[in-house]
Amino acid sequence: MSHAQVAPARPNRLRAWLPFLLIAPSVILLLSLVLYPLLFALKNSFYFWNLQRSAEPLQFIGLANYKMVLSGPEFLPSLTNTLILSVTGTIIEFALGLAVALLLANRLPGMSVSRALLILPTTIAPVVVGFLFRYMYDPAGGLAGWLLTLIGAPPPAEGILGSSTTALAAILFADVWQWTPFFAIVLYAGLLSVSPSLIEAARLDGASAWTMLWRIKLPLVMKTAVIIIILRFMQLFNTFDLVLVLTKGGPGLSSRTLGYTLYQQGLVDFNIGLASASTWIIVIMVNILVTLYAAIAFKNWEW
Amino acid sequence: MTHSNVTRRRFLGTTAGFAGAAALGSLAAPAIAQERSVRVLTVGDPFQYSLRELLPEFTAKTGIKVEFEGLGYDALQARLISSFVSKTSDADVINVDQMWAGQYTDNGWIQPLNDFAKGDSDFNINDFVPETLHSISTWRGNLVTVPVASYSQGVMYRKSVFEKLGIDEPAAGWTWDQYKEILGRIHGQEVDGVKMNGTVVCGAQPVPVVHMFSQLSASLNAPWFKAFPGAETWDFTPQMNSENMKRAVSLYKELYGLSPQESINYTWFDAGTRFSQADIGMFYWWSAYFTLVNADGYMTGAPSKVKGDFGIVPCPQDGTNPSRVSLGGWSLGMPSTAGRPEEAWEFIKWATSAETQKAMGLNDKFGHMFSDFSRESLFADSDLLEVYPFLPQARAMLNGADGKLARPPAPIYTTLEGIFGLELNKVLAGQSDVDAALEQVNTLYTNALSGNFMLPYVQPSFNDTFDATKALIASLA
Amino acid sequence: MIGQNTATRKITLYALLALVMLFFIGPIIWFILLSIRPPSTAFTMPPVLNFTPDLGAFTRTMVDPGDNSGQAVNSLIVAISAVLLNLPFSVPAAYALSRFKFRRKKFLMLWYLSLLMAPPVAFLIPYFILMTNVGLSGTYLSMVLVMQTLTIPFSIWLMKSFIDEVPREIEEAARIDGASGWTIMFRVVLPLVMPGLIVTSMFAFVFAWNNAAFPLVLSSQRTATLPIGTLSYFTNTGVTWGNIAAAAVVAMLPPMIIFLVFDRFVVRGLTFGAVKG
Repeated sequence: MSHAQVAPARPNRLRAWLPFLLIAPSVILLLSLVLYPLLFALKNSFYFWNLQRSAEPLQFIGLANYKMVLSGPEFLPSLTNTLILSVTGTIIEFALGLAVALLLANRLPGMSVSRALLILPTTIAPVVVGFLFRYMYDPAGGLAGWLLTLIGAPPPAEGILGSSTTALAAILFADVWQWTPFFAIVLYAGLLSVSPSLIEAARLDGASAWTMLWRIKLPLVMKTAVIIIILRFMQLFNTFDLVLVLTKGGPGLSSRTLGYTLYQQGLVDFNIGLASASTWIIVIMVNILVTLYAAIAFKNWEW
Repeated sequence: MTHSNVTRRRFLGTTAGFAGAAALGSLAAPAIAQERSVRVLTVGDPFQYSLRELLPEFTAKTGIKVEFEGLGYDALQARLISSFVSKTSDADVINVDQMWAGQYTDNGWIQPLNDFAKGDSDFNINDFVPETLHSISTWRGNLVTVPVASYSQGVMYRKSVFEKLGIDEPAAGWTWDQYKEILGRIHGQEVDGVKMNGTVVCGAQPVPVVHMFSQLSASLNAPWFKAFPGAETWDFTPQMNSENMKRAVSLYKELYGLSPQESINYTWFDAGTRFSQADIGMFYWWSAYFTLVNADGYMTGAPSKVKGDFGIVPCPQDGTNPSRVSLGGWSLGMPSTAGRPEEAWEFIKWATSAETQKAMGLNDKFGHMFSDFSRESLFADSDLLEVYPFLPQARAMLNGADGKLARPPAPIYTTLEGIFGLELNKVLAGQSDVDAALEQVNTLYTNALSGNFMLPYVQPSFNDTFDATKALIASLA
Repeated sequence: MIGQNTATRKITLYALLALVMLFFIGPIIWFILLSIRPPSTAFTMPPVLNFTPDLGAFTRTMVDPGDNSGQAVNSLIVAISAVLLNLPFSVPAAYALSRFKFRRKKFLMLWYLSLLMAPPVAFLIPYFILMTNVGLSGTYLSMVLVMQTLTIPFSIWLMKSFIDEVPREIEEAARIDGASGWTIMFRVVLPLVMPGLIVTSMFAFVFAWNNAAFPLVLSSQRTATLPIGTLSYFTNTGVTWGNIAAAAVVAMLPPMIIFLVFDRFVVRGLTFGAVKG
């Protein structure tokens, strides 16, 4: 596509500054909202400040908070669970979403109504999704357990949320249920943009359905997909509300995530210093992941 | 065509701009209250629903309007902590969970109520069962809150099941060994076509499992620390790997073995609800459930399957050692930053008065569900006895009950509870064995306590005994 | 080789579609049923479907004591304000990012994106302190402001993709006719990106409406929103499933209605500008 620069008829000072004037308000507002918590956390991550012990930060303790977080018995399991959750969640949601998108792309009567309804899970508040699945997973009379028994795969005796083999998967399932439709709609929108003449030409060349998917459709939708993939990955990386409502990280540490550990340190244990150190460890990890991803995925983007 | 479009759009744009500006202006306006009012922040427990129904009476009596907010446990914690950090008064009266009272007072977040109580003859402090004040409301020799709902722990057992299986009904003075033996006789049996579980436990981490387990550690005399709170000099050296603690955790694991397996993920109400499903032989739990298990579903008022078919008996004891009962509950405290302390005290006094508590007990808008009294006179009240015939037994369970022993309100209690709750949960889930788990708990306790400058403890101690509380009550009467 | 529109293919596709819809919409219907069930049938398996609807839960949540009706109004105020505050910040920025070339543009776009990735829990206590210091704690504005950290970046990305698609030639023509920059912006570009404004506003509304973390600490009794109300039925001594479901149904409705009504814009809006040309 042509990205011709709007040629200023009469170059003047205002026009040169215009883009910055337009962008500045958003940057200033966002910076003022984001810098405060980040700096607050940075400063306090080096202080002993546990609200259970004192209302004020007590003393500078260097990297002790960081050491405490990284050496805590829950850190590695939390990190592992978080990575499992975000990697498998993103992959499953993308793959399922693509399958649903391909299904929707068949222009048959009823498809557009279905597509309109399909977005509904994504519009529900995560807290509500948590309650919905807690109800579905209830070991005493939840629909999920009954259905699983019906198809000959009864849930573990401890319940879906009570067994270390299924607890994390159950959280993942709830997230997949909520966000697969989002992938489906976005990828469907991408598929729509594949020009029919291109498909027709490929078909005349004798390309199989698989070839068309891999060689033509997928490369075109990937451009949209790179954004939502990183968005979802990071949201999954920060998962805490589903964990809070469904398992509180149990049994044991089986479904504990970094986000939940952070919640526990800050809003349950009131340890501001420790939670601040956790915040920065997460922020640094997220930034490394985003930078790496951006370097690869956005390489060929036109900005 | 273009022209008319643009005009309409400009009109829309201008309107939206105005609406936006007006909205933002009004959004930032601080809450202004002219008349006498009080802001109350509570947790959404049963007492809250009953209390709320009576608020118009408070306003009619005192002329003070009430802004009343009931929150979930997590939301309450988040709101309280935020307002403490920023030193603002989010409310004039707040709900304080038993173990929070100490740290809230030490950090200056809530203020002692001694002066309010002493100068107020209506308060009638002598009517409180002293164990409730000692367990829930005192810290370093001060009255820091007032109980609004007190719970002890007791055993509920299914009468018809015991009869059908030929088991004698238990009586006070029984032992945990007998308790376990009875559960073994019930577990797996079929009674009236229902496959019975011996008991049901709370397994969910971190708070519920500690709440239920701590009754065992209290019974088996397994303290958390070397010397706290009843000691001249506090010593927080953890005793989590003591022999008695190991016995208590092993017993809890055995009880889980006699429970439905899904109770690994059970919180407070899950255990209570399960009992009312009629497939549990007997269990011990907070006394609030003496009433709540009568209802099928929370706040429905519909009778459950076990209504009228269960008995209540005190918790067993360890051999011949006298039993220690866990005592917990919610109390009302006053933030140091409370903008309206006079109104706040009026409210606290009213909400915890015998008259109001009785009315709460008799309120049956959502079914009768409040019998968690703290005042002596209410346990013998004839109107209340008609609704809650078990009150004399509940009162007897308070004798010698000690919440500070079961769950010691140490300054970093929540952190310690998080550590302990996780390891207990792992033991039940089979991810860790008793000895390894308790060694781990002891190590993590030592780390946490040292990291928080509590080992050694250099701040002033207070010999927090039941006698000290009785002396305090006498001085305030 | 692809049997175009044969009966088997159609049947297979519809069977698949039915399965997909059952999977994604079934749980929602199941939860809605919970809100009107008699409590005794809530946990009965196999599922009881022939019950007499019981509107008691809606009465309790919305009328008497009706905690949630006020919260629904609060949620509306917060969500609508979040949309109104969002547009004046995000639309100009999106326009600039679409129309001008300057250094560091890529960095800026990625910076906006990275804001969506911060762990929200970590910011709750600092935000409370910040809002208290500026005297806004407990107000609608405090929630509306911090929600902008989620809505503005997302809106900029969305809006940029819409503006990208407006041919520059239209602006050029207007400029040659002597129109000023503002005139071009408000009378030429904005009307053309109306669908974009609608989609952007939809998402901003839903983000703000569904957010539970910020109101958890920033709201007060007068300004509490629906997600907070839902959480308060999940207490230590009991869960009022009917109340949770009733409040949740009320919380689900506005986003659902908005997405169904404006459905034709949704697909168009979710391409993030990546599929142009």
